[in-house]
Amino acid sequence: MAVATAAGRDEARIPSGKLAMWWFLASEIMTFGGLLAAFVLCRLAAGGWEEQAAHVSTRIAAFNTALLVTSSLTMVRAHEAVDAVDRRRVTLNLLATVLLGAAFLGVKAYEYSGELAHGFTPWAGPFWSFYYGLTGLHALHVFGGVVANAALCAASARNRLWPHLHHRVEYVGLYWHFVDVVWIFLFPLVYLS
Amino acid sequence: MSHVAAAAHGHHPEPGFWRKYVFSVDHKVIGTQYMFLGLVMALLGGASVYVIRWQLAWPESQIPLTGWIPEPAMYEGHLDPAFYNQLVTMHGTIMVFFVAMPILLGGLGNFLLPLMIGADDMALPRLNMMSFWTIFTAAMVLVASFFVPGGPASAGWTGYPPLSADAQYTGVEWGLNLWILALALEFGSFLMGGVNFLTTAINMRAPGLSFFRLPLMVWMQLTAAVLFMLSVGPLIAGAVMLLLDRTLGTSFFLPARGGDPLLWQHLFWFFGHPEVYVVLLPGVGAVLEVLPAFARKPIFGYRAIVYSTIVAGVLSFIVWAHHMFIAGIDPRLATPFSITTILISVPFAVLLFAMIATLWGGSITFATPMLFAIGFLVTFLVGGVTGIFNGSAALDIFIHDTYFVVGHFHYTLFPTVFFGGFAGIYYWYPKIFGRMLHEGLGKLHFWLTFVTFNLVFLPMFRLGMGGHMRRIYNPLNYEFLRPLEPVNQFVTVAAIALLVSQVPFALNFLGALVWGRRAPANPWNATTLEWATASPPPHGNFATVPTVHHGPYEYSRPDTAADFVPQHVPLPAPPAAEAVGAAGI
Amino acid sequence: MTDDRYPTSTTIWIWLMLLLGLGLACAWLPFGRTTAVFAIFTVAVVKAALVLRHYMHLRSEGLLVYAIAAIPVLLVIGMTLSLVPDIVFNR
Repeated sequence: MAVATAAGRDEARIPSGKLAMWWFLASEIMTFGGLLAAFVLCRLAAGGWEEQAAHVSTRIAAFNTALLVTSSLTMVRAHEAVDAVDRRRVTLNLLATVLLGAAFLGVKAYEYSGELAHGFTPWAGPFWSFYYGLTGLHALHVFGGVVANAALCAASARNRLWPHLHHRVEYVGLYWHFVDVVWIFLFPLVYLS
Repeated sequence: MSHVAAAAHGHHPEPGFWRKYVFSVDHKVIGTQYMFLGLVMALLGGASVYVIRWQLAWPESQIPLTGWIPEPAMYEGHLDPAFYNQLVTMHGTIMVFFVAMPILLGGLGNFLLPLMIGADDMALPRLNMMSFWTIFTAAMVLVASFFVPGGPASAGWTGYPPLSADAQYTGVEWGLNLWILALALEFGSFLMGGVNFLTTAINMRAPGLSFFRLPLMVWMQLTAAVLFMLSVGPLIAGAVMLLLDRTLGTSFFLPARGGDPLLWQHLFWFFGHPEVYVVLLPGVGAVLEVLPAFARKPIFGYRAIVYSTIVAGVLSFIVWAHHMFIAGIDPRLATPFSITTILISVPFAVLLFAMIATLWGGSITFATPMLFAIGFLVTFLVGGVTGIFNGSAALDIFIHDTYFVVGHFHYTLFPTVFFGGFAGIYYWYPKIFGRMLHEGLGKLHFWLTFVTFNLVFLPMFRLGMGGHMRRIYNPLNYEFLRPLEPVNQFVTVAAIALLVSQVPFALNFLGALVWGRRAPANPWNATTLEWATASPPPHGNFATVPTVHHGPYEYSRPDTAADFVPQHVPLPAPPAAEAVGAAGI
Repeated sequence: MTDDRYPTSTTIWIWLMLLLGLGLACAWLPFGRTTAVFAIFTVAVVKAALVLRHYMHLRSEGLLVYAIAAIPVLLVIGMTLSLVPDIVFNR
């Protein structure tokens, strides 16, 4: 029976956890892709929504982009540290990722509160519907990633789950980078066009 | 639970009741849970049929046995029109998402996939457990929607805005929100399941089990998983948008607020069309397993079937606008979608021809699984052919949203889900529950179902050609429909008979659990790996990992004494140099 | 993952930040509307490719993972293109 366990059958193939995460990301590409496609199409149909779009702050969003991209760097560093079996570096890099992700959310909250105060609510028009829908869905995913990374960070700090940590950091990392990639497309489509 | 297998599996303490039967991570338990969920929800889906059909046949009458349904849904046995819409909506939603998918994918798929590939469980057992409890929650949410003020969703299972996007149009507020939530949970559940199926099949096949030696049921489950994974995203996006429109007043779909209702239809059907193949393929897979076993012949055209399935899967992504021919789409879109729709009948024709060729010259035993498989063949043919009628955009202008469409999709969905599903249940029941079903009751169930099914749905083509629209609660309101009312009445009587015909099945299914003859490991003398272990399989499935030596349908070989060679048993050595050609796949 | 033939994660980060700057520049410089949108989108694609290739390790994965990543993208593009006649032009 020892041969037939889930972990043991991978042979030279892709580990099950990584394969599963990629399949999951495929469906996420379709979800965000669908929402972004709808946004692009409706925006083109309506003639650009220039007037409404002028009210979003490119500066804040650019800063947020920098935060998220940097958090991707720290995530990769955490994975490299696991390979090097350097527990302290793993914990620190995961912590940095968590803090940067939380900062992203904090900036987003500040941004939302500003817009809401000016009367740019989700029901203020089609552009705003998509704005809140897109950035909101994305922010939910960032939140999920922050929670996952925080759990990994705690596990690493307490020296628990070490044999599993290597894979889990990699898989959560894939998810985190994906969330970053979504923002890489979201940012220009919403803020720069 | 065999002690030998448990000991060999390692030092597990015996789990408590909750871990073993409720929150189990064993794919066999989870598969059974899915199946029971689907069968129970079928009662609800079927009950709605009774009220709907009675209303259509005798619109001004009091519907018997409905006294317990409170106002405003029913006033002293008279149906409220809004409640009619709710029943129609819930019938579709329940049947597609909470009956077909749980029984065929979650139930048979979960149970069979690891067994058929010689694995001890799924790649991600805890994810598997989570997927079941997610759909269970989804089902609870959907059932709860019946009890909230305003009642359940009423905008059709397709939920088109503007009707669905603003509560003031339907009078249903919480019901529709809960409907969206239930669907979202259901999608999440099957995403988890799909990830698991694909990862398991790619990573955990037994030694020697290459992809082209997989049983066709596995191919169907995998294709269904890929189709679902790749198609559901845009609808999840759409569902989020619809929920926001309803609750926050956003402007995605409502024209009054600057939105586009056609966008929803595109997002829905981009998913919706691959979805019907997701529902359809596992049922076809069950038939493809039953046919060789009861004809004692290898499947004809294994590779053709695999390639056709993949082609059908790919094509299924580029036919969706055939649901929207009269929705106001650009007419230039109608032509290419018409072409692709008619094209997609080709792989299905290949499939059906391969099935007929498998039967041809076989030594056929007309046991219940085989009867249902043949029943599938005959009825699905009608469904496929009428699909071509619908797929021609010019004709569809007249028959869209009529009973012609209802007849078409019931002649595709019912054969695959119910005939295919019953074929699978009667075939694999011994493996799953370790008991044999009663053969006489099974045959009775088949004949009653087959005859009444055709009596219900064949007249619908006549209704549709006569202009009878869908989703109307009182045909007598339309002068031109009055002459068709006798047809409606005939259909209703047949429909009630169809519902009653399921009683032998229920009695058989439940009774055999207690009084059924104990099943041997391989009651049908079949070749695939699930039959190479006990019925039901022990924890860990196989005492030792089987090695696969050849394809899955080695029946009636001239060079063996037995008329079948299981997959884990080597073929006899060839007499001379030419080894490969003789391998019958 | 000390692959000497590949740039380090920090190098990639520097490129990503530079591209962010470039994207912002395209938005603020006086290009024509279409040119600007095209340039910004191209920058985004390059950034995404960098993250996918180097941070998500697509550079060292096999065909299956590439396919799992690529096919949805193609589907989304295909879906968007086929909806243009209806959503963009048919208001």
